[in-house]
Amino acid sequence: MKDRETEQRLRREAKALLEQGKVDYIIGFETGSLKFTTTPLITKDKDSVDRLIINPFIVNNLSEYLTELKGRVGIVAKGCDNRSIVSLIQDNQVKREDVVILGVPCPGIIDLSKVEGLVGKDRDELDDVTRDGDKVVVTVDGEKKEFPASEVLFDNCLGCEFPTPQEYNILLDESSSLVADKTASRKGIETLEGMPQEQRWDFWEKEFSRCIRCYACRSICPACFCERCFVEESEPQWIAPVPRWQDNLIFQVIRNIHVAGRCTDCGECERACPVNIPLRSLTKEMYDLVDDLYHFKAGMDKEAAPLMTHYETTDPEDFIK
Amino acid sequence: MKQESEWEPKLLGFLCRWCSYAGADLAGTSRKKYPANIRIIKVPCSGRVDPLFILKALRLGFDGVLVSGCYPGDCHYQTGNYRARRRMAITKKFLEYVGVDPQRIQASWVSASEGGKFTEVVTEVTKGLKEIGPNKLFADER
Repeated sequence: MKDRETEQRLRREAKALLEQGKVDYIIGFETGSLKFTTTPLITKDKDSVDRLIINPFIVNNLSEYLTELKGRVGIVAKGCDNRSIVSLIQDNQVKREDVVILGVPCPGIIDLSKVEGLVGKDRDELDDVTRDGDKVVVTVDGEKKEFPASEVLFDNCLGCEFPTPQEYNILLDESSSLVADKTASRKGIETLEGMPQEQRWDFWEKEFSRCIRCYACRSICPACFCERCFVEESEPQWIAPVPRWQDNLIFQVIRNIHVAGRCTDCGECERACPVNIPLRSLTKEMYDLVDDLYHFKAGMDKEAAPLMTHYETTDPEDFIK
Repeated sequence: MKQESEWEPKLLGFLCRWCSYAGADLAGTSRKKYPANIRIIKVPCSGRVDPLFILKALRLGFDGVLVSGCYPGDCHYQTGNYRARRRMAITKKFLEYVGVDPQRIQASWVSASEGGKFTEVVTEVTKGLKEIGPNKLFADER
């Protein structure tokens, strides 16, 4: 298995980095407590690097932890995570020399909910789910079922433009050949764009009526790095701290404006949401909007100025009277 | 209760202290008439306007927001209006996607010598707001 080799190489590299004192921490993935899941592993201990894994379920964007750790860090990064790291470097939140990026070319991450939907069984009842080229093989009751990878990958993976890290110290494998399906990755957005304006607003009212303002989206987002968020300001109090849909919606709209040009469409906000608000239908729209307007893609160049601190004299202004 | 026909839109204007506010002043001293629907907040620069101000204004029930500053190249702080331009563009476009009528979020360049243009902009924006009707976006019952 290809993942096995990558995993072995990762463990060797991580161990060497810790032993040679090149990093203080390693951030990677280990096996999670629920079936098929993975969980972040943050360690200083060179013996625990053997717990590091690479598989089609390494979903989290680990760059979130970079701003919380002091010292030099070796970090496992897929394509999207890698861009988040570069974006943090652009914003002076992380120093390039303080991170050793262990790049993993990513073939896309498997969405277990999609697998459950296709197979009609709970994940606990599945014997195995493996990746084989552009297919995903699900073993259930001793029987193998094959699905095209495009049917079971996360929506954001289907829209991925840069699955292979561009800014790395060590690239753990050859480039990934992720087959993208741009239309599928914008499914939710296209449905909304087909609606009249008032209906779109009604849609978001309904969605944000469920929001409990747990701020999981904000906590998990590597681009949301402000020490103090505007929602907690009290003079003036911009929005009410209690979850009312109006304020929930304002919070999320402003959050999207704040992460414009920083969001890499990693999809973590939507996955973290406990009430399943389709947040990617906002973040992905903003991602495409800044690309359309300013030909700007987040985290592509560590020397580039962040989108909103920069301007061009030729920026579009057809909307200005 | 007011009759629907008596309804007048409330427009909140953020005017840059150097150009647009002086332009509004000139409109006044030149005895030009413009709709009294605009309430003006003087800001040091159009670049001071946070998208949050716009949402807060709509949340408080303003029917529209106008951000006006110096022409590109004329900013007293060199680059404030260029930054405002990016911010306004993404705010307007993004809110349109979410479901806010783009007529409610307006921007203009008005210099200190353009009392006439200020009058025109406010008249035009107010007319647009009258056409789309009251802002009920944040009302529980629409």
